[in-house]
Amino acid sequence: VIVANYVAAAVLFSLGLLTVLTRRNLIKIILGLSLMESSTYLLMVSMAYRRGSTAPVLTTPPDGKSSSDLVHGNVADPVLQNFCLTAIVIGVAVTAVFLSAAVRVAQHYRSVDAADMTALKG
Amino acid sequence: MTEPAAIEHAKKEPRADDDWHRPAVGFALAGAVVAVLVIGVVDLPRAAAALPDIARHAMEIALPQWGQNEVVSEIVYGSRGWDTFGETFLLLAAVVSVVTLTRSPEARTEYIGESTAGRQEQAEIDPQGGGGDGDEQEARQAEEQEEQEEGEDVAPNADDLPLGTRAPERAAGMSVVVRVAARIAAVPLIVAGFYLCLLGYTPGGGFPGGAVILGVALLLYTAFGHQAVGRAVRPSVVEPIELLGAMVIIAVGLFGLLFKDSMFANFLTLAVPGTIRAGGTNQLFSGAELIEVATGLAIATFSLLGMKHDWAPDEDGDGADDGDAEADGDGGDSDGQGAQP
Repeated sequence: VIVANYVAAAVLFSLGLLTVLTRRNLIKIILGLSLMESSTYLLMVSMAYRRGSTAPVLTTPPDGKSSSDLVHGNVADPVLQNFCLTAIVIGVAVTAVFLSAAVRVAQHYRSVDAADMTALKG
Repeated sequence: MTEPAAIEHAKKEPRADDDWHRPAVGFALAGAVVAVLVIGVVDLPRAAAALPDIARHAMEIALPQWGQNEVVSEIVYGSRGWDTFGETFLLLAAVVSVVTLTRSPEARTEYIGESTAGRQEQAEIDPQGGGGDGDEQEARQAEEQEEQEEGEDVAPNADDLPLGTRAPERAAGMSVVVRVAARIAAVPLIVAGFYLCLLGYTPGGGFPGGAVILGVALLLYTAFGHQAVGRAVRPSVVEPIELLGAMVIIAVGLFGLLFKDSMFANFLTLAVPGTIRAGGTNQLFSGAELIEVATGLAIATFSLLGMKHDWAPDEDGDGADDGDAEADGDGGDSDGQGAQP
């Protein structure tokens, strides 16, 4: 059942959160954030699923049906697929920002341990 | 120092602590979050639920309003065009952040061109070019000489050597087998990238297409090394192309506002669905998005790959043990020195 996918997404998100909370290595924190990001893709694609549905494409209707039948037919949710699509590209770009910041931090502090980043400590 | 050089070098690697940090708090919070999320997700619409109204609406208007067979593309570039516009400029902002973070403090690569601008300004202020005392001039000459030597160090392109030349393969590029295979694979992959965008049958069109084009650039980078790819993927080439894509997207939105009273409304006549021009402004938006995604991600990735070794200077000799001592280091002016044994 599709609920297993939902729960898997929730567990993946929490695993990512656990990594962010309990690890101080910046690279691992970034991996955790990426995992949280990926879990949302899983959730959105799973929510778009409909039992026995076809892709939301209005070409080549199956035998004996017209395009207008497809419009009201059983298809996967196109809106959630769209969310997922744009989220992936943004996710890559944001991860690139994290990683370049981590490289600069490592070069500046000679450490990728978040506990060593004390320059802004009040 | 009596230690062997290798040990000393290893000590200077960035410090990384691998211990659990407050595991009890972390597990408690993550456990609470997973409990809340699971309670939430089991109530979500399941596989048997009816499509949301917004999705059904998009299905209904895709053909009559946009002449578009692919409903996901219609949503990305039509119904949610304004949102995609925002996401595109989020991508642009991320690319700008990466470029800003990864550029060298010194103008070794001329990414931004501070040194060129500085030289011009210096020439205006001081036409004789003397500038400073003897020491400074000497230092500058030494620096220039060093830069030139770095440039001369570049190995000749392995593909220019006659076949069978007895020479070690350069580390920058991979073996001749991989290089030939990459050359063959790159062409159909580029075609596939543009095909994904042009025919508009793919969900999203330009987004996956742009990712494929970036994949080709990375394939060539892996096979041929940075020298070969660096000639094509140059900031001066790629950045104007990216901004051109961004301008096309803005223009599509504004023309929609001008002619149809709404941002990103379709102002083109609809072609036959399933042809290259089908989808009205969707295809224009999708093509611009292909450019934007391919070049934006290429700039971000290659900036990250090309980051220089700007290690903070080692002030007390054993920086590995003490992070705070380096906190106020300049962070820029000891290129690669710190990492040497």
